[in-house]
Amino acid sequence: MDVKDLAVTFRSRRKTSRALDGVSLDWKRGEVLGVVGESGCGKSTLARAMLGLQEVSGGEVLLAGNPAGGRSEMRDLRRRVQMIFQDPYQTLNPRQKVGAIVAEPLIVQAVDKSVRQERILKALTDVGLDPETYLDRYPHQLSGGQRQRVAIAAALVLEPDGLICDEPVSMLDASVRSQILTVLMELKERRNLALIFITHDLSLAWSLCDRIAVMYLGRVVETGTAVDVIEKPKHPYTTALVAAVPVPAIGAGSSRALLKGELPDPSELPPGCRFHPRCPKRFAGCDEIDPVLAAVGPHGQKAACLLYDGADPAGRSAGGPGTAPDADPSSRLAPPAGLTGE
Amino acid sequence: MKNLLEVEDLRVEYRGRPIVGGVSFSLGKGESLGLAGESGCGKTTTALSLMKMLPDGLKQSGGITLRPEGLEEAINIGKRTEAGMQVVRWRHVSLVFQGAMNSLDPVKHIDSQIAEVIRLHEKGVSSGEVSDRIADLLTTVGLTPALGKRYPHQLSGGQRQRVMIALALACRPSLVVADEPTTALDVVNQAQVLELLERLREELGLSLILISHDLGVLAETCDRIAVMYAGRIVETGTVEAVFSNPQHPYTKRLLDSLPVIGGERGLAPPIPGAPPDPGNPPKGCSFHPRCPYSTDRCLIEPEAREIAAGHVAACHFSPWASWPELESSGLAVES
Repeated sequence: MDVKDLAVTFRSRRKTSRALDGVSLDWKRGEVLGVVGESGCGKSTLARAMLGLQEVSGGEVLLAGNPAGGRSEMRDLRRRVQMIFQDPYQTLNPRQKVGAIVAEPLIVQAVDKSVRQERILKALTDVGLDPETYLDRYPHQLSGGQRQRVAIAAALVLEPDGLICDEPVSMLDASVRSQILTVLMELKERRNLALIFITHDLSLAWSLCDRIAVMYLGRVVETGTAVDVIEKPKHPYTTALVAAVPVPAIGAGSSRALLKGELPDPSELPPGCRFHPRCPKRFAGCDEIDPVLAAVGPHGQKAACLLYDGADPAGRSAGGPGTAPDADPSSRLAPPAGLTGE
Repeated sequence: MKNLLEVEDLRVEYRGRPIVGGVSFSLGKGESLGLAGESGCGKTTTALSLMKMLPDGLKQSGGITLRPEGLEEAINIGKRTEAGMQVVRWRHVSLVFQGAMNSLDPVKHIDSQIAEVIRLHEKGVSSGEVSDRIADLLTTVGLTPALGKRYPHQLSGGQRQRVMIALALACRPSLVVADEPTTALDVVNQAQVLELLERLREELGLSLILISHDLGVLAETCDRIAVMYAGRIVETGTVEAVFSNPQHPYTKRLLDSLPVIGGERGLAPPIPGAPPDPGNPPKGCSFHPRCPYSTDRCLIEPEAREIAAGHVAACHFSPWASWPELESSGLAVES
């Protein structure tokens, strides 16, 4: 599946918000792609737009090279790519039994009746729930972890190629969390699924994802392998996100650079690089030039930041890409722009 | 020096069923204690009983003694009546709730909500002094005083949580209990709020009880940590001791299941099953049905024993010199 220049615009009476502004991704079978960022950065909007649950104002979604625009293509797309939501308490119909919940996608997609029962049993077994016990239960009789498993089973009955998981474990307890993640990872192996993991938890993305895309205000600002992006982040925003992760170890987190301020209003995007008002490394030009994704490292690591822009007029290439801009005379620093809200 | 807070054998019952089954801990001045555990383990119930704010139907017993600085006599919270507690709440102990949006009044300016707290607890404060204190409080929590003229819905989640902290500090209490203060926030805001709590502890000499299911959060902000399971503390000690040398299988498995950047990638074998209903815990050690190391001995309830100075665990087999290797057998089907 490919996503090209996807854009989503929300309009209200007075404002226009660009929730997604030219996002491109590619996504392969057997791969776990992480989409990370603060709340409000457009992660969930991206997922919804990819499945056609959200009207897009630009760009396209390609499935195996074919644009998914028309009704029948969209129907096909929704069969082949399924989504799992954050809150297993809200996504299951409380008046349906587990069996009916899991069967519903088969009815919607008019799957042949002869294979339905078999698919349901297989999906439930795959998520670690014994069908005999659970088929006749109602959601309120299940724990949070079991509900999320039912939601995964309902996504699996159509035998999709891809699963988009929007914060699948953020509502769950630590001990249950690893059960669900184990289910997802085993499914990926067994069914050769493509997985998208939407999360704000970088440590989770680090341990599970093959590749990561970091989003900020509706744009992908950095992408690459999970190890590269998190161990050697290039974009100052990624660096700050990694620094914000609480570390379950002693003596960690005492001296770290914290991101100040709040996410700007997406209806009033800052000019130039949209991260510049909060960026600790901004310099002249950041408030004028909007950087694009460019290669910054091996294994396809890319970042959208002027620090790594070879064409930078100030001859910053002297030290090669990646040189800390801190060495610059302070006069070159742009005046601190007013931080929103604080 | 005596401890600021002593909790002895705190029990909370609901219709004769134990929700919290005998919790004891103490807290020194300026110290921060983390209460860790999964939902339903009794963390929030413990926090609410410290302020005697339990919902109807829940009965608490046990001793809670608070010795705020400058006060001759200790406050025996365990024995206070509702009227007696109203003098203590907010003045000596305050609580930062989990959902900031639900705890703030949506139709009042931030300023007037803080003013209400100050006026309610301190009679005869002039309005000039109140507005000075509000400006001070907002500055202390890192907000510009101008934000006081806004309504809660005009603030971001992180800003609202800061307002909650300002409210908790309004009457200069010596103990603040923060119940999952960062759970609703994303990583960036979470880091900012944690940094703020840390700073306030240093600057104001506050004592802090931080409740969180996130061990990473507690590791960064607390001196000591108490891990709760099914209404009891199963392990307690300094953050260093508990994280580097966990002595209860539950703590060990929880720590193993946390992904750590720079550590091993992939997933540790998950803890099977779900936390028990605290009103109806399994016989013996309440963790034994989920514990990979359990034996027949675990059907007898283990005593909490001191393993090293200040490091206590409730497990028959502690101290654990080393942890047996677990087979990664994948996921068992639940029936």
